[in-house]
Amino acid sequence: MSTATTIPLDAAGPRPTFFEGSGVDELMSMVLELAAELWVVRERVYRLEAAAGSKGLDLTTLVETLELTSAQTAQLADLRERFTRGLFRSLNRPTGDNAPESLSMGDL
Amino acid sequence: MPLQLNHALRSPHAQDARARQDFVSSLRGFVLNDMATEMRSRYDSEVAPKLAASGVANPDEDDIRRGMAGNLYFQFYSATRVNAQEMVWRAVTPGIEADLPDIERRIDAISGKAGGSLTLDPQLPMPKNVTAIDVHLMPGGYVAGTSAAAGAVYDNGLAVFSAGFMGQNLDDIGMSMAQWVRHRHPEFKPRRILDCGCTVGHNTAPWKQTYPDAAVVGIDVSAATLRYAHGRAESLGLAIDYRQMDATKLDYPDASFDVVFSSMFLHELSSKQIRAYLAEAHRVLTPGGLLLTMELPPNRILPAYDQFYLDWDCYHNNEPFYRTYRDQDPAALLCEAGFGADDTFDFTVPQYTYMTEEAFSAAVNRPPEVGADTGRLSATVHWFGFGAWKRAG
Repeated sequence: MSTATTIPLDAAGPRPTFFEGSGVDELMSMVLELAAELWVVRERVYRLEAAAGSKGLDLTTLVETLELTSAQTAQLADLRERFTRGLFRSLNRPTGDNAPESLSMGDL
Repeated sequence: MPLQLNHALRSPHAQDARARQDFVSSLRGFVLNDMATEMRSRYDSEVAPKLAASGVANPDEDDIRRGMAGNLYFQFYSATRVNAQEMVWRAVTPGIEADLPDIERRIDAISGKAGGSLTLDPQLPMPKNVTAIDVHLMPGGYVAGTSAAAGAVYDNGLAVFSAGFMGQNLDDIGMSMAQWVRHRHPEFKPRRILDCGCTVGHNTAPWKQTYPDAAVVGIDVSAATLRYAHGRAESLGLAIDYRQMDATKLDYPDASFDVVFSSMFLHELSSKQIRAYLAEAHRVLTPGGLLLTMELPPNRILPAYDQFYLDWDCYHNNEPFYRTYRDQDPAALLCEAGFGADDTFDFTVPQYTYMTEEAFSAAVNRPPEVGADTGRLSATVHWFGFGAWKRAG
């Protein structure tokens, strides 16, 4: 029966790992799941505000059926891109030999 | 840009699911463009000097892989990419699970309306390359069950995965290849076209759209994806015949097709399966017929870093034959299958979906342009193809 079909959420077999430190790969998954969930909430809030601003009616139904304007869609895409860049900001800092030397209190 | 599928089997995901899908799609776009670019810089500035200092002046793909394994940026790139891949499937599964009974109803209701057919073979043995692992980290794999679930997960997931780079209804590869034939060989009028390993038929449909008078057949070993492919094609008004069949053992007489096509198929097969498929393709082609294969570019035509970059999927995306395939010479494989050395060719083609007819026509008549964007899913991707004409007489 198709109504009883359950689709698994995890692929079979071992999962690729990349970090030597124990738990870092798992932490990455948590952070990215959290990021996705945060984005979902942010987008819902955005849509709630947009809906309220435009109609002020049944917000739940309104958000589910709301068609964003092309300008609003573009704005959302821009916000999403900024969000992703912010998430990865620590990776863009110089590392290794290129890392800035730490300063002592006496240097300040 | 996230993609909205435009056919009747598309699942109506709720708003939060759509937002999650958009996020995952954007995340993949960020990984494949921004992070990939930065990772190359890190290789040049951090890893290559270390390799040189250790005496590896001209590193090959394996040297680069070993060197990059300990690089922090590579580790974050890879972990993010694996997670994004997993999140692709997780973002679409709940909505499909809820919609599946209705998907099945929609397929039943539309079946045969466009004149296509679905022929399943419950006795067909399943090859190990699709049963032993969940290819693409897709939970449940491609051949589980006979409901359309696997097809729906793949189609909806690919819409998220593609990050907008694979065309409306995910058909740009098939469309670019079929249009390449039409523009490059306008005198060629195929009457029967076979697409092997077609999954949900997203790249089969363009052949029917390009050659509407031809009989188009799509085969796959998966009943689940074929059932979905059938409903998908019917909903698009395309009369395509889908048959459950193993491409390495084609159930067709000699000289049955004018075109035998596959896309992103060979790299999922073992070397033995590739050779069996190409020999079968040669056998069922009519004299003067065309074997056309869209694939990842072979390693032999790429710089070592690009070899390393493309082969990432082999090691981290449950595609164990990826590199074995890419290490081979397509022309040699074709000759081994029975094609003449002078009858083989390879080419690159830009994305038909995003160009004018005139610009595309001009592009297909230029020599192949192999570069870092060849076969690499990004905003500037060029697809790679190769093939051969079966000598008449």
